[in-house]
Amino acid sequence: MLDSLGQFGSAFGMFMSPGVLVTVLWATFLGIVIGALPGLTATMGVALMTTLTFTMPHTEAILVLVCIYVGAIYGGSRSAILLNIPGTPASACSTLDGFPLARQGLAGRAMGISTSGSWLGTLFGTLCVATLTPVLAELALTFQSYEFFWIAVFGIVICGTLSGGDALKGYLAGFLGLWIATIGQEPHYNFQRFAFGFTDLAGGIGLLPALVGAFGVAEVLQAMRAPAAKAVSNTVDSVIPRIGDVLRHWRTILRSGAIGTFIGILPGLGEDTAAWSSYAAARRASKEKEKYGKGSIEGLMSAETGESACVPGAIIPVLTLAVPGSAPAAALMAAMLIHDINPGPMLMIQTPEFFYQIVAMLVIADMSKLLFGLTLVRPLLWILLVPRERLMPIVFVLCTVGAFAITSRIFDIYVMLFFGLIGFVLRELKFPMAPMILGLVLGELLENNLTRALVLSDGSLAPFFTRPISGVLAAITIFSIVWSIPAAQVAIRRRVRGLLRRGAPA
Amino acid sequence: MPIPTPPPSVLPHEEPLPPRYDLWTAAVFFCIGIAILWLCWQMPTYREQQGQIYTAPGLVPAFHGVIITGLSLWLGLRAIARGALRPGDDTPRPVREGYSDTRLALATALCLIFAVGLVGRLPFWLAAALFIFAFTTLFEWQGDAPLRQRVRRLITSAISAVGTGLVVMLVFERVFLVRLP
Repeated sequence: MLDSLGQFGSAFGMFMSPGVLVTVLWATFLGIVIGALPGLTATMGVALMTTLTFTMPHTEAILVLVCIYVGAIYGGSRSAILLNIPGTPASACSTLDGFPLARQGLAGRAMGISTSGSWLGTLFGTLCVATLTPVLAELALTFQSYEFFWIAVFGIVICGTLSGGDALKGYLAGFLGLWIATIGQEPHYNFQRFAFGFTDLAGGIGLLPALVGAFGVAEVLQAMRAPAAKAVSNTVDSVIPRIGDVLRHWRTILRSGAIGTFIGILPGLGEDTAAWSSYAAARRASKEKEKYGKGSIEGLMSAETGESACVPGAIIPVLTLAVPGSAPAAALMAAMLIHDINPGPMLMIQTPEFFYQIVAMLVIADMSKLLFGLTLVRPLLWILLVPRERLMPIVFVLCTVGAFAITSRIFDIYVMLFFGLIGFVLRELKFPMAPMILGLVLGELLENNLTRALVLSDGSLAPFFTRPISGVLAAITIFSIVWSIPAAQVAIRRRVRGLLRRGAPA
Repeated sequence: MPIPTPPPSVLPHEEPLPPRYDLWTAAVFFCIGIAILWLCWQMPTYREQQGQIYTAPGLVPAFHGVIITGLSLWLGLRAIARGALRPGDDTPRPVREGYSDTRLALATALCLIFAVGLVGRLPFWLAAALFIFAFTTLFEWQGDAPLRQRVRRLITSAISAVGTGLVVMLVFERVFLVRLP
């Protein structure tokens, strides 16, 4: 215990130099700006900055990315409140109550609630990172290939089921991503799969160019197609959070923090699901349900706390299983791999100091976010009013640089374009993007563990279902698929209700 | 006051698609799945080198191919059950207010010209400046504005485009030490 506290202390001490603090400030501010601008997402911000920071020392580079991630998720609420357009998909839920509050002339108060909720949410999630990660990492050390195979499949299925909309399309997107991950040289014989003689394709599809395409280029096209946004007002009342608002809603904050962190831990779901789930739970428990959607302080608080608690939550599976909890966490994981940090069960053994550093980074980024939330209101308002016709070409230029920078291959720019166009079309066809990106991330994990497990069991599928953890993961995965079929869902509900009625005393 | 909902561009799952769209999508995914399986079937198994069948290069992609094919069949059958083949289902989707396919086509064309045509052929700062100038000029062009205003707008666009191109080059190459295409 004392040793852990000492490690946390030294991790914090490491980031307390003026140079690093300046880095924290600019990175968090940049994150907030990225999040606030409709069309720029946290995923794109983290992916782009990954390519720009890869010459930095690894702790500083990851610190920049954590600050961007934390800042961007918070920044999205600015445009949600003032424009009724979420800066990031995670802030979509905040428009429901944030925008009506702004229309009532309470934009400043809404931003204060967003700041306090977001700050407390990230703090809650960070506490969970500090306490849960060592426990989960210990558990993950007992996993073998069978369990890792199911974790990959479970990730795709749960992400497809819960990422919003049509679960079937989520599964299709996920397995498409898994297949795309198999393009290039395979690990056993270096056979070039689906390369058709192209050397560049034989090198495989890079995760970062794909991420930049799916979340950057697709957003540029989407933004240029959509109508222009207009701010509801350019005058803002006080943004200082009211202690009363926080104290009155402490239950909502705790509940949303727990839900947000839990959703973050589940593979691939991310902040938007966390915000919607927290909002729904808060509404169900509220005594003022009728205010929801019309400017409910509680509703806004729940959405903001949930989405911000999800940020640290999404980092937990990265550190323990090498499975990202959200799309920006996937980019963060890619950055860790680029910097020779091996996320996964061995991280706590090989580089335990990195775990303490991550916790310190989250706390510092959260504090920096609070500082900007309280002080930089007007400059952010001006930034929000930059016309998209001027902003989007610059974003596209940055995407091009971001896709090219890591490996200096023009081919990666084409990968970005391809994923941008495919991402745009698939979104129009109501396919969620998160499962596809998760598939791309988990492809290697699935392939290595499936083949290893089959070799170990000599082709027997029994261990995939009979080993305890493997069996549980298989059962949850199969149940999730069955649950996504409406007819099966109705039948299960009827069955359970019948069983309960029969079991109840007469 | 009605509850404001976020625009569909941000929440893409809000509006249901006509079933016929799903049927076409299912057909495309079915073809992809079958193509994957066919390509996997043609891959070597390395059995002659004492390789185990479980490490054959085509095994895992074939697994994905089978699932993609199965899911596409599920999607197609579901679309048919929802009336994709029923006559009268081919009603076009209602036009969303303020959304413009012309703007989309223009933006796509400009992005493709920049990324495929200009990058790598011109110095990056110049390619970026040309792209930004073309983009802002075309999207902000007001044909009915007075000549003086149009000229002023062109000059502003040109200055901001060249400025952005140079700033991008300096920041990325000098500060972040990143190679530009």
